[in-house]
Amino acid sequence: MKLLVCVSKTPETTAKIAFTNNDSEFDTSGVQFIMNPYDEWYALVRALELKEQLGGSVTILNVGPASNDAVIRKGLAIGADDAIRVNAEPKSSLYVAKQIAAVAKEGGYDVIFLGKESIDYNGSEVSAMTAELLDMPFISYATKMDIDGSTATIEREIEGGTEVLEVDTPFVLSAAKGMAEQRIPNMRGIMMAKRKPLKVVEAVEANDLTTVATYTMPPSKTEVKMIDPENMDELVRLLHEESKVI
Amino acid sequence: MADQYTNLDNMRFLLYDVHDAEELTQYERFQDYDRTSFDIMLDAVKDFSDKELFPYFEEMDANPVTYDDGKVTVHPQIKKFIDMATKNGFIGPWFDYDQGGIQLPQMMYGAVFHILDAANNNVAGYVGLTSGAANLIRTFGSKELFDTYVPKMLEGKWMGTMALTEPQAGSSLSDITTTATPQEDGTYKIKGQKIFISGGDHQFGENFVHLTLARIDGAPAGTKGISLFVVPKHRPQEDGSLTYNDVFTAGDFQKVGQKGYATTHLVYGEDDNCVGYLVGEPHKGLKYMFQMMNEARLAVGSSGIAIATAAYHASLQYAKERPQGRKIESSGKKNVEAGQTFIINHPNVRRMLLLQKAITEGGLSLLVECGKLVDKHMVVEDGKEKDDLHLLIELLTPIAKTYPSEMGKTSISTGLQVLGGYGFCMDFPLQQYYRDIRIMSIYEGTTGIQSMDLLGRKVTMKNGAALQLLMKEIQSTIQDAMTHDELKPYAEILTRKMGTTQKVLGHLMGFAMKGDFERFLMDANMFMEFASTIVIAWQWLKQAIVAKTALITGNTPYGEDFYESKVHTMKFFFKYEVPKTLALEQILMDNEVLTIQNEKEVIV
Repeated sequence: MKLLVCVSKTPETTAKIAFTNNDSEFDTSGVQFIMNPYDEWYALVRALELKEQLGGSVTILNVGPASNDAVIRKGLAIGADDAIRVNAEPKSSLYVAKQIAAVAKEGGYDVIFLGKESIDYNGSEVSAMTAELLDMPFISYATKMDIDGSTATIEREIEGGTEVLEVDTPFVLSAAKGMAEQRIPNMRGIMMAKRKPLKVVEAVEANDLTTVATYTMPPSKTEVKMIDPENMDELVRLLHEESKVI
Repeated sequence: MADQYTNLDNMRFLLYDVHDAEELTQYERFQDYDRTSFDIMLDAVKDFSDKELFPYFEEMDANPVTYDDGKVTVHPQIKKFIDMATKNGFIGPWFDYDQGGIQLPQMMYGAVFHILDAANNNVAGYVGLTSGAANLIRTFGSKELFDTYVPKMLEGKWMGTMALTEPQAGSSLSDITTTATPQEDGTYKIKGQKIFISGGDHQFGENFVHLTLARIDGAPAGTKGISLFVVPKHRPQEDGSLTYNDVFTAGDFQKVGQKGYATTHLVYGEDDNCVGYLVGEPHKGLKYMFQMMNEARLAVGSSGIAIATAAYHASLQYAKERPQGRKIESSGKKNVEAGQTFIINHPNVRRMLLLQKAITEGGLSLLVECGKLVDKHMVVEDGKEKDDLHLLIELLTPIAKTYPSEMGKTSISTGLQVLGGYGFCMDFPLQQYYRDIRIMSIYEGTTGIQSMDLLGRKVTMKNGAALQLLMKEIQSTIQDAMTHDELKPYAEILTRKMGTTQKVLGHLMGFAMKGDFERFLMDANMFMEFASTIVIAWQWLKQAIVAKTALITGNTPYGEDFYESKVHTMKFFFKYEVPKTLALEQILMDNEVLTIQNEKEVIV
């Protein structure tokens, strides 16, 4: 079974977020980056579990510059067999989807895994676009997945319950919490990762259909107000008049 | 509960930018590593600690180790930790590949254990002591001993300990009385008691390998008659089974801190059936043990800084979230109509937080420096450079053990003060950090022992060669600092302190030359405080040079604030800490003698 796991690089969850160039670009100075947790914890780990169960291979795919190699290496350290990096700035969801589709077409993968979204832009767009470009079935927000032969049984959380789907390979899947448990790379895996193949390919032609005009920060949190525990009337007044929650 | 306990950016800054860990990867021994692999390792250990250690820190305190009828029970999370450490190769990680190790640099091992200890200081010792015990067997033991014990220890199945202290012999090991009687088959019958044996027994070890100091019958008195033995709790048989070796766990000491870390009382040979296996040659046990002791001393320093670091982050978080009082306005009054300000905005609280930062990040820098010295000593060819590295390690080890454990206490006490009344309450972790760090100035040689070691042995060894080397290193840092106008005044202060050090030593050495050694060592603790403050000032100047250069070049991967904070904290250390050496200098130069015992007892 040939499995492709698409991973993106996102700011570390505690990073201070700021914008530059008239608030149209993300300011990366002083920011540490990690592999998008949805890609790592759920998509990659489930792919590795399936490989361990059924045999085959797991390839990591990333669209980004050489500075992304550290993130890719982590995926290799966790257990992927090899990696491909499309040497280009990931300008937009469509641009990235087109790059993934080009690689996927050539590789003939049985399942293409992505996280349900990236924790920075939260678009949940790339997986659906990739499926469309490849003309493959797409299952989003999957929380459980098993494969028997060429048929996969997949669970999705839906409002108030669970939906169970069956789909034949090849298909595209976006993975959500519940799909797998985070794996922490061990030292031997980290050392082996340095010697695993990382192929760099050039990007295919792809137009962007959107450009970012501006980013705006959410309003900052208001200051904490301490209320004397003996003064419940004041608490009720504030909740009623200021917070308007009661 | 605070949610942060260390800062990986600071660790990376110290490892890569200040102390150039990447240089090590040029040596054949470490060539399988690179910065990316180090970074992934640090992130992985942090992830594990976030998930499996930090959330259990308070729980291990509330539910301490228990002892019942010879059985020691530790928190179940200890098993997860041992498994993780085994899987990663963190037991004996510096061993050669063909010995089951991963040839990890000491610098990185130190960084890993800093994270683990900061997250939960109850756990690291279980693995750290197993590593140290395995390393003793590897270095001084026979191949048979290695093959019998070390692989199982590296697999995390058998745990290791160091068994030195006895009820009547703590700091004075020359008075140990545990006996070793030779047997015809070349083994020894061991009889005696050992106390304060960390990690000495628990439900997650199939076997415990106690590296035990004992006297062979007829051995000379004093430290020259002490030998080192492997004494397992269970004797391995030829068929692979284990037979009880008459090492009884008589109790677990209940302590004020580190309550999740077992501290056992062992009784050897009650039924005259305890067998020990000699490590190396007879009567060289203490010398061998000192190898493990030096590693352990650096590890204790590392734990001290890790605990103080966690406490700093807890205090900092509280200070940023706790509104209290109002800022004094330019009129000299407070506007009671204005909302309360967060306590981090009060100068006195800021001073306390800066003190915590200065102590913890300065101490950590010294430990990273020592880690690199150990690594380089391992890989460079025999010759002058290797000898020099050895001398520097010897000189800096007592300081790297003592500054973190002593000033770490001060740092946490200051952090507790930041929280005010809440700092004294069980609802916040400062009180636990305060209790946990207290043992660090006692473990592996008290501060008194370390101080006498520094002044009486390390400073004077090879006619002061180690000190000269350290002075040269400091001088090199001063020269670099002099190229930045902003750092120049601090470099000049450090230059003057080097002169003062020589003056103080000249005065003290006068007593040694006259054979008045009690007078020479009388205020060794004061000298330790004096010398370690200067050494940490050196570490801060080193950090400031790197930070200042980054700010000038604009290469600030951790954000400009980070680098500005480094330069600022260096200035803080020189303003608030370095002047304390003036008082210490005065004490050390004073000829009045008040602590040496006279005929008439004055302490009544």
